[in-house]
Amino acid sequence: MSGYLGSYATLGILLVVGVVLFGAAFAGNRLLRPHRPDPGKLTTYESGVDPVGGDWAQAEIRYYVFAYLYVLFAVESVFLFPWALVFARPGFGTTTLVEMAVFVAVLLLGLLYAWRKGVLRWT
Amino acid sequence: MHPVIPYVVAALLFGVGVYGVLVRRNAVLLLMSIELMLNAVNLMFVTADTSIVGVPRSGQVFTLFVIVLAAAEVGVGLAVILRFFRLRASVETDGVGAATETDAPREADAPRAAVRPDPDGEAR
Amino acid sequence: MNPVLAADITLPHINYGAIAPILILLGMACVGVLAEAFLPRTLRYPVQVLVSLVAQVAGLATIIGLALSNYAKKPTLTAGDALAVDGPGLFLQGAVLVLGIVATLLIAERSVERGGAFVAQAAVTAGSEADAEQARRQPSQTEIFPLSLFALGGMMLFVSANDLLTMFVALEVFSLPLYLMCALARRRRLLSQEAAVKYFLLGAFSSAFFVYGIAMLYGFAGSVKFHDIAVAAISSGKSDLLMFIGLAMLAIGLLFKAAAVPFHVWTPDVYQGAPTPVTALMASCTKVAAFGGILRIFYVAFLDSRWDWRPVIGVIAVLTMVIGAILAVTQTDIKRLLAYSSIANAGYVLTGVLAMQKDGISSSLFYLVTYGFTVLAAFGLVTLVRDQDGEATHLSRWAGLGRKAPVLAGVFTFLMLSFAGIPLTSGFTGKFAVFSAALGGGQTTLVIFGVLSSVLLAFPYLRVVVLMYLQEPAADAPTVAVPGALTSAALAIGAIVTLLLGVWPSVLLDVANSAAQFVG
Repeated sequence: MSGYLGSYATLGILLVVGVVLFGAAFAGNRLLRPHRPDPGKLTTYESGVDPVGGDWAQAEIRYYVFAYLYVLFAVESVFLFPWALVFARPGFGTTTLVEMAVFVAVLLLGLLYAWRKGVLRWT
Repeated sequence: MHPVIPYVVAALLFGVGVYGVLVRRNAVLLLMSIELMLNAVNLMFVTADTSIVGVPRSGQVFTLFVIVLAAAEVGVGLAVILRFFRLRASVETDGVGAATETDAPREADAPRAAVRPDPDGEAR
Repeated sequence: MNPVLAADITLPHINYGAIAPILILLGMACVGVLAEAFLPRTLRYPVQVLVSLVAQVAGLATIIGLALSNYAKKPTLTAGDALAVDGPGLFLQGAVLVLGIVATLLIAERSVERGGAFVAQAAVTAGSEADAEQARRQPSQTEIFPLSLFALGGMMLFVSANDLLTMFVALEVFSLPLYLMCALARRRRLLSQEAAVKYFLLGAFSSAFFVYGIAMLYGFAGSVKFHDIAVAAISSGKSDLLMFIGLAMLAIGLLFKAAAVPFHVWTPDVYQGAPTPVTALMASCTKVAAFGGILRIFYVAFLDSRWDWRPVIGVIAVLTMVIGAILAVTQTDIKRLLAYSSIANAGYVLTGVLAMQKDGISSSLFYLVTYGFTVLAAFGLVTLVRDQDGEATHLSRWAGLGRKAPVLAGVFTFLMLSFAGIPLTSGFTGKFAVFSAALGGGQTTLVIFGVLSSVLLAFPYLRVVVLMYLQEPAADAPTVAVPGALTSAALAIGAIVTLLLGVWPSVLLDVANSAAQFVG
């Protein structure tokens, strides 16, 4: 296990140990616990409360807009990280700062548009 | 040594994505398959980056661009599919083009399926 | 600090003057978004039209200024070599904008149909009570103007991109607004939405191939700059296989946008379903942008490996011309007919591209402009033939139009003759330019297929003409709307340019010739 695949060995060993540990815990549990089947034990666990309603729940489609706005901003912020690494270097300074300001301003424009169109209103 | 495993995984992911696009008929699942293809590309960029002596870490930066564009694509795509669902009450792509292939597309305006009342159809 | 990271990263110099046209377009698109957000509804339409036209005219003026100063002679790379400002780039940017202005005139037309061709809320079922209500309360859609500005800005970025990543970003910037614009038709809304879904899913699929090709070429060359790829292609010791896989994937993405067979299946449905002004924009500007990208990739990055890939693309060009022409013959809908004709025309441009020498570039550039103007005018005329359901696009409904509307039928006949490549029209000079360039490049087979297919393609065009003049109009024949000032202007520009470039092609061909030098 040397060479190229060797670097994957640690990962493989970790996986194997995880599986073994998991299996051992459940096997030990099985050996030690009493065995008393009960239909109540098969119902869905909802924090100790009796389960209510069916299992098929659909989210309101209007959440889509919020989710989407969040995703866009979260994803766009990814550009901030490489920028943050270089902007303090000599020769970058003001120019990079202004460029990032323009970038964020364009993002804000999108948010502004969503706000004016009433997408952010929670009705 | 050449990083074979990530390349193979990336190719497999891309293949799974292509297979999904070709086989699936649900527009949302098609979108997910396309995302798989883009993620295969990300994996390739990051892997290729390790073995390249050039502009440092350029492959990783490319990945960021692909991620962002994928998010934009999903946003637009979901919007288009959502509007389509409201007219058709279905996101199956099998029926897409059925209206175009008839010689008399004048009936195409008739709603083909009862459209559910739209909870937030209010104008924005 | 990480030693690799500490290696020299320098701030790329950006020549803002050289990329000003793109910045103007995208900046004004942001202004348009602001106007859409803050202006009262009644003011939006005039302001948006104004912003849109001012942006494009200003961009065009800047491009002309750049071309007259020595950017065409002394091309530059800027923004860390990501953007090339050179002859073909400026020419293509100008072409996108000129065609974009005419398309904007068509988009802005509101007198033919009350409120314009676009619906304010695309999700409302057409003909329902809610639809009547929304038509009363908010008659128009003005978001289309910023969307089209973003699309045009993206196309300009696309044709001047000098590395693959910039190209991919630009591809998405111009594709995403187009997907949305397809879905906005006021009439035949379901068809329009289906077109948008189809265009989006296939477009996203093809751009995934495109970006996979980028990854392959990055692995091959260690860089995504066209120049570095060209250098890596001629250096020994690297596996060509990776390069050719990458090139094939890139070509899939680009040929999809250019609507070449076998990546054309979306074209008829999308062209038919999209609102006709948007179809006009796609048929003219998107084609220019797509072929701009194809030209730059083939002539800058893969020039030295052309002997290996030229036969493959040649086969695609032949397929595109022949299949486009054959399928055009069978069409019964005018928009679908024009869509198949645009597929065949993509084949003609590809023939010019494959000449792989200087007049290949200039003839392709010339052809793109001539075709763009003619197709804009043709789709503009399609918007005018209407019945109570909106546009009457079925060919049988066009019977006898020559008697009811002699002017419209006359102009349409002229445009059809231009498509068919009859002398004294720009269609003839354009075809002549690309075919003679291809002959000069040794592509005789392509030219033979090109001439044969254009003979075949003349048949459906002339059938429309015969239909308009020699058949009796039906009792419920569609009426011909009186075009408003904007549509009239667009039609006049399109028809006059078609005639002008037919009788005096050198006026544009000389510009194209002097522009035909890519920066390496």
